[in-house]
Amino acid sequence: MSDSVIVARHLSKVVRSQEATLTILDDVSLAIAKASSVAIVGASGSGKSTLLSLLAGLDLPSSGEVHLAGRNLSDLDEDQRAELRAEHVGFVFQSFQLLDSLTALENVMLPLELHGRHDARQRAADLLQRVGLGARLTHYPRQLSGGEQQRVAIARAFASEPDILFADEPTGNLDAVTGQHITDLLFDLNREQHTTLVMVTHDQRLAERCQSALQLEAGRLLEPTQ
Amino acid sequence: MNNGTWSLATRLLAREWRAGELRVLVMALIIAVLVSTAISFFTDRLQRGMVSRAAEFLGADMVISSRAPLPEAFLQRAMEDGLSHVDVVEFNSMMSGDVEIQLSSVKAVGPGYPLKGQVRVADQMFGTERVVNAIPPPGEVWIEPRLAAQLALETGDTLDVGMASMSVSAMLTYEPDRAGDFYSLTPRVLMNLADLEETAVVQPGSRVRYRLLLSGAEGALQGYANWLRPQLEDNQQLTTVADDNQQIGSALDRAAQFLGLASIAAVVLAGVAVALSASRFATRHFDTSALLRCLGASRRRVMSIFLIQLACLGLVATVIGLALGWVMQWGLVLLLRDLLPPDLPGVGLKPLLVGGATGLIALAGFALPPLIRLGKVAPLRVLRRDLAPLPSSGWLIYGLALGGLSLLMWQFTGNLRITLAVVFGGAIAALLLGLVAWALLRLSGNRLRNAGLAWRLGSGQLLKQPIAAAGQILAFGLILMSMVVVLILRTELLDTWQQQLPEDTPNHFALNIMPAEQAEFTAALERIGAVSAPLYPVTPGRLTEINSRPVRELVTKESQGERAVSRDLSLTWSATMATDNTLLAGEWWPDTLPDDESLISIESGLADSLGVEVGDVLSFVIAGQVLDARVLNIREVNWDNFTPNFYIIFSPGSLENMPATLLTSFSLPTEKRAELRDLARAFPAMTLLEVEALLKQIRDILAQVTLAVEYVMVFVLLAGFTVLFAALQSTLDNRLYEGALLRTLGARKALLRQANRLEFALLGSLAGIMAIVAAELITWLLYRFALNLDWSPHYLLWVLVPVTGAVLIGVAGALGTRAVVRESPMRLINRGS
Repeated sequence: MSDSVIVARHLSKVVRSQEATLTILDDVSLAIAKASSVAIVGASGSGKSTLLSLLAGLDLPSSGEVHLAGRNLSDLDEDQRAELRAEHVGFVFQSFQLLDSLTALENVMLPLELHGRHDARQRAADLLQRVGLGARLTHYPRQLSGGEQQRVAIARAFASEPDILFADEPTGNLDAVTGQHITDLLFDLNREQHTTLVMVTHDQRLAERCQSALQLEAGRLLEPTQ
Repeated sequence: MNNGTWSLATRLLAREWRAGELRVLVMALIIAVLVSTAISFFTDRLQRGMVSRAAEFLGADMVISSRAPLPEAFLQRAMEDGLSHVDVVEFNSMMSGDVEIQLSSVKAVGPGYPLKGQVRVADQMFGTERVVNAIPPPGEVWIEPRLAAQLALETGDTLDVGMASMSVSAMLTYEPDRAGDFYSLTPRVLMNLADLEETAVVQPGSRVRYRLLLSGAEGALQGYANWLRPQLEDNQQLTTVADDNQQIGSALDRAAQFLGLASIAAVVLAGVAVALSASRFATRHFDTSALLRCLGASRRRVMSIFLIQLACLGLVATVIGLALGWVMQWGLVLLLRDLLPPDLPGVGLKPLLVGGATGLIALAGFALPPLIRLGKVAPLRVLRRDLAPLPSSGWLIYGLALGGLSLLMWQFTGNLRITLAVVFGGAIAALLLGLVAWALLRLSGNRLRNAGLAWRLGSGQLLKQPIAAAGQILAFGLILMSMVVVLILRTELLDTWQQQLPEDTPNHFALNIMPAEQAEFTAALERIGAVSAPLYPVTPGRLTEINSRPVRELVTKESQGERAVSRDLSLTWSATMATDNTLLAGEWWPDTLPDDESLISIESGLADSLGVEVGDVLSFVIAGQVLDARVLNIREVNWDNFTPNFYIIFSPGSLENMPATLLTSFSLPTEKRAELRDLARAFPAMTLLEVEALLKQIRDILAQVTLAVEYVMVFVLLAGFTVLFAALQSTLDNRLYEGALLRTLGARKALLRQANRLEFALLGSLAGIMAIVAAELITWLLYRFALNLDWSPHYLLWVLVPVTGAVLIGVAGALGTRAVVRESPMRLINRGS
């Protein structure tokens, strides 16, 4: 597993409410190789998004550990995890998560500006050009269609040249044709930048385009299909 | 905090500004600063203006007086400090006409007299008066009409003052600085100081009062007074505007208190505005915060970004607010220029500091807790939007903010009791009523379950999150409360003034009426249509000892007691107590009066000053005889109402054998002034004293202050409305979203409109109930502990305020949520999600 960029060991996530204890993830172990593409598939409520959030260090497991880019996330505090994300991780969300008050260009510039990069504007403009939105730089999210908004989100995700890209149902809010375009774009950029892609989806066709798929069922990981 | 964070924060801020995200917060802040600055500016100038107006009654800003010539150093220093000055010498002298002689008060004045106010004269007795901006030329005197009547003098006649023979060139009808002393029995003569030596009246040992009138810039006066006070000897007194004149003093005090309270209301409004809009700012930035964290920004960096943004906003809004406040107070002054004192002092710096401090304290105190919450947003929110950060426990910060605002309020009112009454009254009321509102909402949840759909939808918003709803009710309640308190106080203030000087307030005093003429005099007054107070017997007497100790040893310099023992007191006797007097200690005369001792009733201020208590024995010298009298009670006297009042009242019979004359005051309409000439002729021994001019001056000042008070009230009300609407804006986001959602589910516009109206009306009436309860509590505390007024419940407001709250917030809310029924639901949903 030496070339694995993500390693999870015996991950469990348990939520306790007043009425009951709910096990969302149950003893999940996995390893994801550098520059590979992995789909996490499963029915709604199977724990896909929870697994993604744990792998990306957005949340902490109840037990078990995650190694991301060689660091054990359990050893890091919230701010150190944020730093790690800043260095290595990009995200694409189902609901795009663009900031309404920023234009397409400014949304893409945001992670670059957080890194203090001086060429933020130029690089963001190039990326938007690359995703086909060169003419929409100054448009606000509300002036863009869903597909266009997701392209902006993809441009933003690749802006900081991440080692790992986490995508949570990236086509979930889009129609089939647009979804197809977005998927092509995602995989093209992934290939160009040698990024490790971890994608949560319940779209079987999308999962099939990944090199491997992890099947979750009621919080447990089934045997890899590929 | 590195440079990157600064520039990122400001860049993000600029982008958000362009996108219109920040307008509500900035508007609220600007209003907060604007209102407190404008009110602070205006009240500052007005108060200083009113003080300068009151200075007219002193003829100067301050006066040093002494029985001996004042040291040269006093004048020297005044000149060095750039103060204007006038010398005045006062003495009593016998004036003789052809047949009569009359003791008169002569005032010899230097050029420039008076430094404040104006002298008015008439060319003949009871003729039309006019203002003169000069003093009598050398060789001439101006005399009071009653002296002219007594000595049968006309203008152009000659009057001997001591060794000098002077020409009477005008009738003196008004000199500003005699106002405080209208009980003085002797008629007045005004002459030029240059003639004083020629009169040869002032000799070693003669009873003369030397006065130095001073006037100048506030700071210079203050500095001079500070320099002077430690050097004053026992026979020297310093009188400033604040020490002088009870009628004007109390009116001005109340006005100043009102304006201070109005400023407090403005500060409360500012706090509410900032708290609400900062909370909205925070809520709308949860996603931004989560995304920044997700993109790798540390918690500290995210907090720094928002703190920098808020600080920038605060700074910009404060500067704009200060500038607008400055412009606005000029507008106020322009609008009121006919009614404001002509020499309104310039703009001071203090209001700018106060306004700026209000903005920054309100921002730091009320915006920090929501911001801290913003820092706690979990990055996981990018995946799970329902993850809102827990409300931060901002008790410490809110406490600090409240403390800071209390200090500001203290600064505004200069009165700790008032500040504490408002802060504690408001805090207790807010806390209790917040809990009650929350409980009511919880309870009504069950009741409304079976109500109509509009009711359920309307109340649903409030019931779903009782704590948030209670917070909104609290905010609206505080806004309404500020407005109601200002309204109540203003009405009370105007009533008090109205009562103080009703239409038939006596405008004349008649003294020296012979007891034998009593019936005839009363009939004469009735004949000319004058409304008269009772006639009191008066006998002059001097207080010499208290419990067998010489009174001179007991009084301190510059005290009321000192003034009382240094001249004859007007003593009277009466079987009953005047209706406007209040018994503070002891009891009124018993049914059967003792034969072997005299009893007296003493005025409370004098009693305090002399250290006299019930049971003490006071010795008087009256017409050469010594009379001991035991203090049976202490009275509080209302000196403001222009009716005869006395420091000492004897029990009936005590002064039986003493020579006495009668005294009364009466009200006579101005157009019947000519009748006074006949009255003066019919009772030649009588002294008639006109206080019409003084009364008019007090009325003028009260009218001005009333207008200013009204204006400031309207200003606070307008500010209240503005903040109310700004506050409402901050609660609309979620409502618009849910309304749009309902429309997609097929809800008709009418239903949504009705639900919105009901919701806001419910919110408004609950806020109204809270406002009136809190306002009553605060006014009760204020009246009881700070203003010394009688408090009674304002029943009408108990109905009016909740109804007004319901209508106001109902209408405003309906207007604010018009978008629900106007705009495309899809747009609203996209915007809301």
